[in-house]
Amino acid sequence: MRFVRYYQTARQRSPWSGLENEIDRLFQSSLAGFGSSRIPVDLHEDQNNVYVRAELPGVSREAITVEVVDGDLNLSAVRKTPATEGKAEETSATLSRSIQLPVDVQTDAVSAVYENGVLTVTLPKREEAKPRKVNVAVK
Amino acid sequence: MSLESTLTQPEASQCACDVRSTVKPVFNVREREDAYDLTVLLPGVAKDGVEITAEDDSLVVRGRRSEKTAAGLTPLYRESFDADFELTLTHEKAFDVDKVAAELRDGVLRITLPKTEALKPRKISVS
Repeated sequence: MRFVRYYQTARQRSPWSGLENEIDRLFQSSLAGFGSSRIPVDLHEDQNNVYVRAELPGVSREAITVEVVDGDLNLSAVRKTPATEGKAEETSATLSRSIQLPVDVQTDAVSAVYENGVLTVTLPKREEAKPRKVNVAVK
Repeated sequence: MSLESTLTQPEASQCACDVRSTVKPVFNVREREDAYDLTVLLPGVAKDGVEITAEDDSLVVRGRRSEKTAAGLTPLYRESFDADFELTLTHEKAFDVDKVAAELRDGVLRITLPKTEALKPRKISVS
């Protein structure tokens, strides 16, 4: 059971305001923002590797965890927002994402690079998963 | 996303003149006593890809993604965009254009916009 908060604002005087609010809320939740805890990812592949690119701005390298478990890639990170004049305490938010990998990968050869707020994980495909060219002689 | 009333976004129709499509980055404006702190999330943008244009009535932040999607890669699933980031905020001489400072770290751009003298709180002593 999920509870969805009901927003009541001044805009609800217009007959369409309910719908407008719902659309706004849909966009706010689907587009990753400060409040969102889901890491947006891209998945690419070439012949030998699968590449996962995750957008993680404002996270330190030590706070990033990359795990491959049972054909799934688990990413998690803690984003710390330093204390400012407005907010006395340091706040931290945990971001996470789990994606199912499309092919079998060599779990011991996974590497990851974090640069400019983007984490790129390179997962080498297992030999069995690579496309193989078989020459068949036609008689 | 919090937005101060002095820093507002222009109507969408004003930006339609730009042909190249851009993405509005996630941003946050926080007000301090003597300045506004603007935080913009620009994942995948290097220092030389950031362009900040501050004028008396507007502030434009552009971010060019430094990484190119290598040829030969097959996209399987995508959630991000290749388009550049662009954020336009309008204001009414809310901050001192000459004293704007910016810092980019790990894809997060922090811009400090010092308030103009007229906007700073002033203590008036009663005689």
